[in-house]
Amino acid sequence: MGIVKIRDLIYEYIRRDEEGNVEGITTAVDDVNLDIEQGSFIAVLGHNGSGKSTLAKHLNAILYPTEGTVWVDGKDTQKEEYVWDIRQTAGMVFQNPDNQIIGQIVEEDVGFGPENMGVPTQEIWERVEESLKAVGMYQFRKHSPNKLSGGQKQRVSIAGVIAMHPKCIILDEPTAMLDPRGRKEVIRAVRALNDVERITVILITHYMEEVIYADRVYVMDKGKITLQGTPKEVFSEVDRLKELRLDVPQVTLLAYELRKNGLPIPKGILTSKELIEALDQCINELN
Amino acid sequence: MPIILDKVSHVYGEGTAMAVKALDDISIVIPDGQFIGLIGHTGSGKSTLIQHLNGLMKATSGNVYFNGEDIDDEGFDKKMLRSKVGLVFQYPEHQLFETDVFTDVCFGPKNLGLTKKEVELRAYEALKLVGLEDEYFYQSPFDLSGGQKRRVAIAGVLAMKPDVLVLDEPTAGLDPKGRDEILEQISRLKRETGITVILVSHSMDDVAKYVDRIIVMNQGSVMYDDEPREVFQHYRELEQVGLAAPQITYIMRELQERGYDVSDDVMTIEEARKAIKDCFEKLASLHRER
Repeated sequence: MGIVKIRDLIYEYIRRDEEGNVEGITTAVDDVNLDIEQGSFIAVLGHNGSGKSTLAKHLNAILYPTEGTVWVDGKDTQKEEYVWDIRQTAGMVFQNPDNQIIGQIVEEDVGFGPENMGVPTQEIWERVEESLKAVGMYQFRKHSPNKLSGGQKQRVSIAGVIAMHPKCIILDEPTAMLDPRGRKEVIRAVRALNDVERITVILITHYMEEVIYADRVYVMDKGKITLQGTPKEVFSEVDRLKELRLDVPQVTLLAYELRKNGLPIPKGILTSKELIEALDQCINELN
Repeated sequence: MPIILDKVSHVYGEGTAMAVKALDDISIVIPDGQFIGLIGHTGSGKSTLIQHLNGLMKATSGNVYFNGEDIDDEGFDKKMLRSKVGLVFQYPEHQLFETDVFTDVCFGPKNLGLTKKEVELRAYEALKLVGLEDEYFYQSPFDLSGGQKRRVAIAGVLAMKPDVLVLDEPTAGLDPKGRDEILEQISRLKRETGITVILVSHSMDDVAKYVDRIIVMNQGSVMYDDEPREVFQHYRELEQVGLAAPQITYIMRELQERGYDVSDDVMTIEEARKAIKDCFEKLASLHRER
């Protein structure tokens, strides 16, 4: 079994009026089935309100299924005795770095998780060191978090999660509030975790450029997975993605426009290197 | 109503050991009707700067003039200033509080002491300007989607009829379509009403597409202040301060290095498409001549 297995998941929010009477039911996740392999890099796309975050919150038992089952590392999230194990296995990083940091000093903040798990002191320090090194923040270990940039804070949040030795890390729009360098730093750190430490990564984002390295992309709409595949396959569907209020990377869009203009460029171009190769090919055909 | 900042500096915690210079000798002129992009990495002083534009923060030294008058002069009407220079903060939807959308947008103009009729007229116009459909007017703002909530919050500021609209990252956290919709509406609003818009943004692609002028902030100073095309020529310097050029500019540079006859000051998809197409047509006609 993979690290995450989801079967027939349905989640309903019950809307109530001021007196607590039921006004209606919103189905935020609607019959989702998903298998994620240990060590893979998964991206989830979808417009605001498509159910991405609700789905993500099922992966570390913040929310429980209304119907269906979610297993994380083989454990059913609805079984109370597994809750702490699951939250340790699948760590979560949120959008706003300022809401996730509690320590006065970077290394204290990162040590908070393992300390709560009852890890022996010597090992806590070892974990803090390796986690901060993994995200490139070791030289800031004695700094106060509120003096760091957004991207640096977010990397400290990620280190705090890795210090708990998770098998899987879920990032819910981790770069939404960051400047271009901050975005780059965070994505680089996340990719390194996946490549080097083989931690499973589940990245939720509105930035299309961030998912071109993913092994698999899932697109959500109205609580369902409506499109899935490799980045190349998914980003070949330019019109479909636009309908879903999404976009494609800028280079993909440029290639798509050129193709519409009659240049024989293949679908699903993801990098400028691929575009240049395709254009070189066009020139060869001219000659 | 032009705004002039003359040698404005702002020091946080002045006179203490923790003093930080957030703005350092800033002099800029914001004339009527411009669409300005304000960019800079986190902590570069953008937010401090915009709070000086409507007197929310007071310059430690230097002067801010609104329509020729020093806003720190005794007797200067700050309340008028705040209705003329509208500030939309980050995640403005967190500031919604009324029971329905329409009442929320009425709050600002009501405080200006206008008649009920005038207040409601302004609220209606503002909601139309941000493109919110009538069916949402009497819903709770909390039942709307993220993009809709943000538009209601912007309408709340527009209902004050500002001459200058300042938006601090209005698209953060929105999906791509939501980003485009908000920016299109702001751009249309600027065209139709002629107000000055200052857009604080982390997206170089958005800035390149919409604004006439870019002000780049770094360590509390103005690093560049020019047309987008000129500013993005300095992409190496921009990278050093945590920024970048639009992605398309990089692609065009790579093509140029590879020997393609395209210009490298291209900033948008449409320009790039045209440049590459022209380049290929030229090649094809050369080929036919041979």
